[in-house]
Amino acid sequence: MLKHSSYKQHISAQFNAELESIKNDLLEMGGKVENQIEIAADALLGVDSGLAEEAIAIDKDINRMEVEIDEQCTRILARRQPAASDLRLILAIGKVTTDLERIGDEASKVARLAIQLAGEGGAEYTNIRVRRIASQINDMLRLALDAFARLSVEDAVKVILSDDDVDDDYEMAVIALKQQMRADVERLDIYLNWIWALRSLERIGDHAANIAEQVIYLARGVDIRHQEAEALRGLID
Amino acid sequence: MEHRDALILASNNRSGTRQAPPSLRVENLCLRYPNAPEALQDINLSIPAGQVTAVIGPSGCGKSTLLRCFNRMNDLIDGCEYDGSILLNDVDILNTATDVTVLRRRIGMVFQRPNPFPKSIYDNVAYGPRINGQGRRRVLDEIVENALRAAALWDEVKDRLHESAFKLSLGQQQRLVIARTIAVDPEVLLLDEPASSLDPISTLRIEELIYELKHLYTIIIVTHNMQQAARVSDMTAFMDMGRLIEFDTTDRIFTNPSRPETEDYITGRYG
Amino acid sequence: MLPTDWRRLRSTAMIWLTAAAVTTSLAILVGLIALLVVVGASWFLPADAGFDRATLTFISDRWQLFLFASPLDGVGSAGVLPAIVGTAVLVILMTLMVTPFGVFTAIYLREYARDSWYTQLVRIAIHNLAGVPSIIYGVFGLGFFIYGIGGSLDSLFFAAQLPRPTWGTPGLMWAALTLALLTLPVVIVAAEEGLARIPRDLREASLALGATRTETIFKIVLPAASPSLMTGIILAVARAAGEVAPLMLVGVVKYAPALPVNLRAPFVHLEQKFMHLGFQVYDTAVHASADEGRIGLICATAMLLVLLVLLLNLAAVVLRQRLRDRYQAPVGGI
Repeated sequence: MLKHSSYKQHISAQFNAELESIKNDLLEMGGKVENQIEIAADALLGVDSGLAEEAIAIDKDINRMEVEIDEQCTRILARRQPAASDLRLILAIGKVTTDLERIGDEASKVARLAIQLAGEGGAEYTNIRVRRIASQINDMLRLALDAFARLSVEDAVKVILSDDDVDDDYEMAVIALKQQMRADVERLDIYLNWIWALRSLERIGDHAANIAEQVIYLARGVDIRHQEAEALRGLID
Repeated sequence: MEHRDALILASNNRSGTRQAPPSLRVENLCLRYPNAPEALQDINLSIPAGQVTAVIGPSGCGKSTLLRCFNRMNDLIDGCEYDGSILLNDVDILNTATDVTVLRRRIGMVFQRPNPFPKSIYDNVAYGPRINGQGRRRVLDEIVENALRAAALWDEVKDRLHESAFKLSLGQQQRLVIARTIAVDPEVLLLDEPASSLDPISTLRIEELIYELKHLYTIIIVTHNMQQAARVSDMTAFMDMGRLIEFDTTDRIFTNPSRPETEDYITGRYG
Repeated sequence: MLPTDWRRLRSTAMIWLTAAAVTTSLAILVGLIALLVVVGASWFLPADAGFDRATLTFISDRWQLFLFASPLDGVGSAGVLPAIVGTAVLVILMTLMVTPFGVFTAIYLREYARDSWYTQLVRIAIHNLAGVPSIIYGVFGLGFFIYGIGGSLDSLFFAAQLPRPTWGTPGLMWAALTLALLTLPVVIVAAEEGLARIPRDLREASLALGATRTETIFKIVLPAASPSLMTGIILAVARAAGEVAPLMLVGVVKYAPALPVNLRAPFVHLEQKFMHLGFQVYDTAVHASADEGRIGLICATAMLLVLLVLLLNLAAVVLRQRLRDRYQAPVGGI
């Protein structure tokens, strides 16, 4: 099977320019989402409504970019009838924009929860695991986007495998919170908000893993969605 | 009579004389001309029966040359030499003992520019059967009608069968040529860029026709239009500089080819 | 003057120049015909012509003389009717002989033979044949056809009649053969041109349907080239109709007592001598009595020849047009 390991030049300079442009736009959107997650996570951990508002504001941009990039994809499909790796690129970009936009939505949810928590006075609760999850998903997203830019299958596989760690951390965090909920029933609402926030963070991790799956499809032409971990290891060879 | 019914009728008529679809294999084929010592190099290919196989590649890669080997039309060029074999039902047709006139009835060819004879529409289609000794008027009438129906041209010409073929539009002429080729009841159809001189609508009609005809014939089509190959064929062969680079299902070639040369050509990075 | 003016001036000058050339050619042609008609007509009219009965009788008498006279009638030349028949039969016979010969040669050269030094040599020879003076053909006809073949035929089949020759003497067949040789290059060249213009893909289409080379040639190529073949024939007729010199050696006489085509079996008498319009002109010019009537007779006879050739050509042109319509030359005809 052909290993697509770099983006090569087309005879049509215009087509080249279009593909460059859409890739750059996607990476830009990714950068914005990364930024948004950082701010939202900080807002959550520091229970800071100011930061939270910032994070929510970014979402508008992200939604706009999703629509624009999808339009560009449609245009390229209609005019260029891309084939083989170019076709996979466009299809992958179409899916990645969706995942990025969902990440943005989840980050906004986290930010809103931060505002709620600020209002309810949930500042004193911190959990090491939250910090770790937040940091992990951020790394995952950054690595996934890097993998996209460099068509690195190894990095993509790393991202997918990291998601298991995130899921484990999430479960442990939820168990701990449930314990605290039973112990401290008065502050149930606060703890519930923390659980929603954690779930959003965990979902962001899933979406980052989806992006990595698209990178593998793009680079190798293999659709590994819904497949077992063993299939992944086979790819690294 | 519906177009489809005509096809079924033709297929029923055929099944009396020929049971299994033909197998067509190319083994180690090499071809040399005086001007082109490496026109074809070591081609190995197995053409699936009852399907459309497209041959694509850049100009001068040898795809038309390969096509013309199947019905020995390359013999018309002085100094042409073959090595290797092409096996039609396990019989080597490149053998000098082969009767090329019989071969060319079993393997028909449609050319790039429509080339109807300067005769009436009827006489064009009846030419092949007449050459083969079919003289009875009623039988010829039936053959002509079935061929024109199968080529999706009957309704447009049934009232003017004895008019000159040149009164038809280019797209109709090409369908007439297809009808003419079908009239001798071949097993394999070779199409050499059949739509390249036609307008887009006529091209689509011809493509529809190919799709319908493949139930009855094994079809090999050479085309420089990649999207056409993608639309029309089941299998695709990519050639470059006289060599066969890759041969796989059309779906795979166009979504995830195995060879970098194929990928480069299909995505327009070639050269 | 500006460059544009200069160019426009040149353009206009060219148009006038070419128009003048056409007009001059036309004028010459019309003048010639007019001369023939006017002077020829004068032979039929009495000196004191007017719209009266006497003139009419005179004219009809002259016509009788013109058509049916024998040398004994004191006109100085024989009547032209046998000559009309003789010329027509000769030309038709010649066409029947030269067409298959020329066409088959062209087919061989163009379709079957591979291009090589040999075929080039043959073509050169054919083109040179066209330049040979026509009297030489007459001499060849006399020596080879008449004395050679004719003599052999006589000694083989007609020995009883010797020493009176049957075939070993000038006659219609030898004359037709000689003219056929004369016009052969023209027919071959035109036929080759015609065959060469048939596009390759028409032949390939036929071959791809399982036809043999021969079937392709005779069912597709030849019919499609038939308008060009007709052109060749038209040119041959035009050339042959004007030849007189060689005919004097191989079959034409001043006076033949019987037509070469008549009701006596076998209806066409190929061994007979015959009369010819062109020769009539020559004979009248040389032997007719030196009175004013002679020039009129000459012109009348010449006019008749022109008319005959015109008619033959017209027939051929009509036939060619019908062939063109039938095969609708997408080839672009000659």
